[in-house]
Amino acid sequence: MSTAVKMTADEINADQRPASGAWAAEARADAANRLASMGLPTRRDEYWKWTRPDSLISATPSEAEVFDNQGEPLVFHEIDRLKLVFVDGVFDADASDALEGEGLEIERLSTAAEKDIHWAKDLYGVLETAGQTPVKRPLAAYNSAQATDGVVVRVTGQVSRPVSLIYRHADKASDAILHHVIRVEEGARLTLLENGAAAARFNQVTEVDIAKGAQFHHVRAQGRDHDRQAVTHLFTRVDAEAVFKSFTMTVNGKLTRNECVIEIVGDEAVAHVAGAALGDGADSDFHHDDTVFITHDAVACESRQVFKKVLKNGAKGVFQGKILVKPDAQKTDGYQKSQSLLLDDDASFQAKPELEIYADDVICSHGSTTGAIDEEALFYLRSRGVPTPIATDLLVLAFLADAIEEIEDEDISAEITGRLDAWLSRRRG
Amino acid sequence: MAGLDELNVKEGVEEETVEAVKSLAGTYKYGWETDIEMEYAPKGLNPDIVRLISEKNEEPKWMTEWRLEAFARWEKLDEPSWALLNYPEIDFQDQYYYARPKSMEEKPKSLDEVDPKLLETYQKLGIPLKEQMILAGVEGAEDMPAEGRKVAVDAVFDSVSVGTTFQEELKKAGVIFCSISEAIREHPELVKKYLGSVVPVSDNYYATLNSAVFSDGSFVYIPPNTRCPMELSTYFRINAENTGQFERTLIIADKGSYVSYLEGCTAPQRDTAQLHAAVVEIIIEEDAEVKYSTVQNWFPGDEEGKGGIYNFVTKRADCRGDRSKVMWTQVETGSAVTWKYPSCILRGAESQGEFYSIAITNNYQQADTGTKMVHLGRDTKSRIVSKGISAGKAQNTYRGLVSMHPKAKNSRNYTQCDSLLIGDKCGAHTVPYIEVKNNSSRVEHEATTSKVDEEQMFYCRQRGMDEEEAVALIVNGFAKEVLQALPMEFAMEAQQLVAISLEGSVG
Amino acid sequence: MLKINNLHVKLEEEDKQILKGVDLEVPAGKVHAIMGPNGSGKSTLSYVLSGRDGYEVTKGDASLDGEELLDMEPEERAAAGLFLAFQYPVEIPGVGNMTFLRTAVNAQRKARGEEEMSAADFLKFIRAKAKDLKIDADMLKRPVNVGFSGGEKKRNEILQMAMLEPKMCILDETDSGLDVDAMKLVSEGVNALRDSGRSFLVITHYQRLLDHIKPDVVHIMANGRIVKSGGPELALEVEHNGYADILAEIDA
Repeated sequence: MSTAVKMTADEINADQRPASGAWAAEARADAANRLASMGLPTRRDEYWKWTRPDSLISATPSEAEVFDNQGEPLVFHEIDRLKLVFVDGVFDADASDALEGEGLEIERLSTAAEKDIHWAKDLYGVLETAGQTPVKRPLAAYNSAQATDGVVVRVTGQVSRPVSLIYRHADKASDAILHHVIRVEEGARLTLLENGAAAARFNQVTEVDIAKGAQFHHVRAQGRDHDRQAVTHLFTRVDAEAVFKSFTMTVNGKLTRNECVIEIVGDEAVAHVAGAALGDGADSDFHHDDTVFITHDAVACESRQVFKKVLKNGAKGVFQGKILVKPDAQKTDGYQKSQSLLLDDDASFQAKPELEIYADDVICSHGSTTGAIDEEALFYLRSRGVPTPIATDLLVLAFLADAIEEIEDEDISAEITGRLDAWLSRRRG
Repeated sequence: MAGLDELNVKEGVEEETVEAVKSLAGTYKYGWETDIEMEYAPKGLNPDIVRLISEKNEEPKWMTEWRLEAFARWEKLDEPSWALLNYPEIDFQDQYYYARPKSMEEKPKSLDEVDPKLLETYQKLGIPLKEQMILAGVEGAEDMPAEGRKVAVDAVFDSVSVGTTFQEELKKAGVIFCSISEAIREHPELVKKYLGSVVPVSDNYYATLNSAVFSDGSFVYIPPNTRCPMELSTYFRINAENTGQFERTLIIADKGSYVSYLEGCTAPQRDTAQLHAAVVEIIIEEDAEVKYSTVQNWFPGDEEGKGGIYNFVTKRADCRGDRSKVMWTQVETGSAVTWKYPSCILRGAESQGEFYSIAITNNYQQADTGTKMVHLGRDTKSRIVSKGISAGKAQNTYRGLVSMHPKAKNSRNYTQCDSLLIGDKCGAHTVPYIEVKNNSSRVEHEATTSKVDEEQMFYCRQRGMDEEEAVALIVNGFAKEVLQALPMEFAMEAQQLVAISLEGSVG
Repeated sequence: MLKINNLHVKLEEEDKQILKGVDLEVPAGKVHAIMGPNGSGKSTLSYVLSGRDGYEVTKGDASLDGEELLDMEPEERAAAGLFLAFQYPVEIPGVGNMTFLRTAVNAQRKARGEEEMSAADFLKFIRAKAKDLKIDADMLKRPVNVGFSGGEKKRNEILQMAMLEPKMCILDETDSGLDVDAMKLVSEGVNALRDSGRSFLVITHYQRLLDHIKPDVVHIMANGRIVKSGGPELALEVEHNGYADILAEIDA
C-alpha cells in the first residue's frame, strides 16, 4: 500500500494530526486506531463492490482543473444566508460572514479543537463511530483522524437564515478534509446549504445530532468541476418527533461517493434523504454512488430514500440503500426508491436496495427501475411539435421531480430545478 | 392453469391426495425413520473415500479423476459466510459420505423379496404401489398395467438411487431417465459433455464438495423435438444418521424438447443436524423448455431449533439455445438452514427464465434463498416472484441478482419480492443486486414487507376460522402466484404444507 | 336470542367511551333495526358483539341464546351462530371466494362437532345459493372481494350469510354504497333468509333499507345509548324529521 494515503495508527502519528487540545487529540487518536483496526477499503469489500476506492485513498489526488463558470453566479446566490467560505479546504475569513447569528453558536473546528473542553466532544467522531457498525466506513474514520477544519454549530432556536457552506476549488492538486459537527437542540431548526467542488479531492464528514422535536434541512449542490473527486459521509442521529431532510444535486465530477448514515432513535421521527444526479461521461468519467443506511430503532418513524440518476456517455450510477428495522421499532414506515434513466447504451446502473427487518408491524418497501426514456412519451411530445432534444430534457426533468420535491423550501427547490434545467439546456447547445 | 378453487372441489385423485396428506399431517409428517441395514463408508473425507464412492458406483477412470480434482480444489476453499445465516461450524470430517441399503446389493425378484422396510418408506411417501415395486427393483414390474396418474419416479435413498420407474415407456420416446451413476456407465458421452458445464467443479464451496463426493442423483436426456410423455419426479430421502446426502442431477433438454421435472425431499426427525449439498445442472438447447419444481420439506429441526437439515444447494439452468426457456418453482418449507439460489443463464437470444418461490421459515429455521438472472443474449426475459414468510424466531432472506450485460439488448426483468412477518420475534430481509449495462433493457424491482393484515384475520375469524386456519388461508393467498406455477399434485401438497409449516406460529 | 345488558365500551388505545349502557333484546325470528346519526356507536356495537380487537368492555354483558358472548373468541361466536355482514367487506388477495367459504363452512361445522361437507355437496350448495343472489360462477372463483364492485361485495356478504346459516345476523350499514337495484337484490337475499329461528339486527343510517327489509322493532341510538324504541313508523319519523327533532325531544 505504498501509494495509499497514510492510514494506519502508526503512520498517522500524533505529529501528523492537526494541532488540537485535549478532547480533540483524544478523538483523533481514537479515530486513527479505528482506522488501523478496520484497514483501508479494497475492491474486494462488499461495500465497495461497484465503486473503486483506489483513487480516493491514493497518496496524492489526481489533478482536477478548476471549472470556469464564466462569471455565472453560483447556486443559492439569491437566497439570504450566512455565508462561510472554504477555499481548497481552508477557511477564508475575508470572504465569509461573521461567525454569528440569532439562535446560533458557530465556530471553526480548528478553533474548537484547540480548547481543552468543548461540547463537540460528545459528537465529534461519536456518530461516525456508531455508523461504523455493522458496515465499516474507513474513509470516515480517516477523516475524523485527519480533518483540518470544518464548522461546529449549535442551534438553539429558529434560525432565520440558512447557514451556507461554500466550497471553492482553486488549486488543481488540492486535497481537502473537512469535518462538521452540528447539534440542533430541542425544538430548534436549521437549514444547511452546501455548494461547490471544494478541491481536486474532497473528503467530508458531517455529524448531525437532532434533538427532540428539532428540524434539520439540508440541500447540497456538489460543484461542476469535471475531474473532482469526493467522498462524503453524513452521519445523523434523529431523536423523537425530529425531522431530518437531506437533498443532494450532483451534475459533474469524476467520482462521487455520498454516504448517508441515519440512526432514528426517538419515536415518531421523520428522516428523508434524496438525490438527483445528472451525469455525462463525455466531460470526463462520471461515477456517482449513493450509499445509504437507515436504522429504525424507535416506534412509529418514517423514512424515505428517493434517488434518481440520469446517465449517458459511459456514466455510471450506483445505489446501495438499506433499511434496518430493529426488533422493537414497530409501526415503522420505510420506503426506498432508486431509479435510473439510461440515455444511451454506454451508461450503466447498479443497485442493491436492501431491507433487513426484525419487527412485524411495519410497512417497508422498495422500488427500483432502470431503463431508457419512455419512447411513447417522447413521441407524444414530438407529435405536439416539441423537438427531440427539448422533449428529452423535459422528460428528464419530470423524472427527477420526485427527488427535488423532497426539498421543502420553495425558493431553494426552484433554484435547484433552475440549475438542472440550465445544465440540460447548455448541453443542447 | 386451473385455479385452486377448482382443485379444491374436484373429485377423485386430488381429493384422495388431500385426505392422505391431511391424515399424515403432524408437526412434521415425514419424521419417521426406516430401520434398514445400511452399508456405510467410514466417516470423514479424504481421497480414499472419494475413490471408494467412485468404485462403488463402478465408475470409469475419468470420472474418478474428475472427482479427485474436485476434492483437491475443495480442500483449498473456505466455507462462504456472506449469507444471513447463523449456524454452528460444520465438521466435514464427522460425516458419512456414503451409505446405501444393504438389500440393494442384489436385485430382488418380487415384492416378497424386497426389504419390507423399504417398501414401507415409499408407502409413507405416498408413492403408488406399482411405482413402489419398481422403485424396490422388482423385475417385471415395468410391464404391469399402470394405475392413476403417470409420473416416472427416481428415488434416492440416502446416497443411492434405488430405482427408477417407467423406464421402458420413456425409452420408447427416446427419453433417458435414470440414476446418474447408471448414466455415467451407460451414457458416458453425454455425461462427459455436460457434467460440470453449467456448474463448474470449482463454482462454490458446496458445489465443489458435491462434485467430489456425489453418490447418486438423477439423469435426464430429452431428445430433439420430443415432449416428454410424462412428468419426471425424484424423491430424495435422507434416512441414515450423520449421513450427508450429495445428489447430483443433470438434465439435458435437446432442441425443441419439453420436460416437467418434480423434486420432493424428506428426512427423519433427528436431534443432530444433517448435511445436504446438492447440485442440479440443466442444459436447454434451442426452442426447448424445462420446468423444474421443488417441494423441499427436509426436517426443519424441532421447536427448540434442535436438529434439522443444513441444505446447501447449487441449481443452475443454462439457456444455451435461442428461444429456450426455464421455469424454476420452489416451495421451501423444510430444513434448519437453506442456502439456495436456482439461477438462469440466459445466453440464447429470446431465451426466458422464470423463478417462483415460496420460502416459509418457522421456529428457528433460517433461509437465505433467491435467484440469479444473468441476461447475456438479446431480447431475453426474466421474471422473479418471491414470497417469503417468516414466523416464530426464524430468519428469512431473499437474495438475488439481476444482471443485464452489454449485449443483452432489449431485455426485460420484472422482480416482485414480498415478505410476510408473523410475530415480532422473526426477521424478513431482502438483498437484491441489480446490474444494468445497456439502456435498451428494462429492469423493474419491487419489494414489500408487512405483517398479516389484522382486518383480514378478523374477517376470517368472524366467519368461523380459528387463528391458524385463518393465517394458513391468508398466507396461501399471499403465495398464490407461486402455487399456481406448480403442477397440480404438487400445488395441493404445497398448500397443505404451508398450513403445516406454520403450525404454532400464532397465538 | 340476543340479549345485551347495560353494555359499556371504550376504545382500548385511548380514553374514549363509545357505548354508555346499551340494553337490547332481539327475540328469535325477529328483525330489529338500529338507526342513529354518525358517531352514535352503531358500528362499534356490531364490532364488540363480533369480537373485534381494539375495544374494551368496561361494564355489562351480551349473550346469544344464553351463552355469554363477550368471553368468546371471534370464531367461537361465529360457530355459536353470530354473523356480521361488514360495512366494508375485507379484500383477501389470492384466496378464492370458494376456498374461503368452504374453509369457513367446514371450520364452523367442525367446531359444532358436525361432519365436514364433501366437495361435491359444497359445490351443489354454493351454486344453488349463488343463483338465488344472481352471483355468477366467475365471482365465486375470484379472490375474496378483490376487484368487486360495492354491490358485489354486499351480495357476497349475503351469500356468506346464506352459506353459514347463522342464528343471529348483524347487518352493518349494508345499504351503504348500494344503488337502488343492488339494494333490492341484497334485501331479497336477506328476506329469503328470514325464518322463525333466525334473528336480524339491521344497522342503518337511512330509512330506505327498511322499506325493503321490514323491521319488527326500530331503535334509535345516540351518544352510545338506545334512546328510543318503537315500531316501523319510528323509521319513517326519522326519514321525515331527521334525527335532530327526535334527539331534541329526548333531551327536553
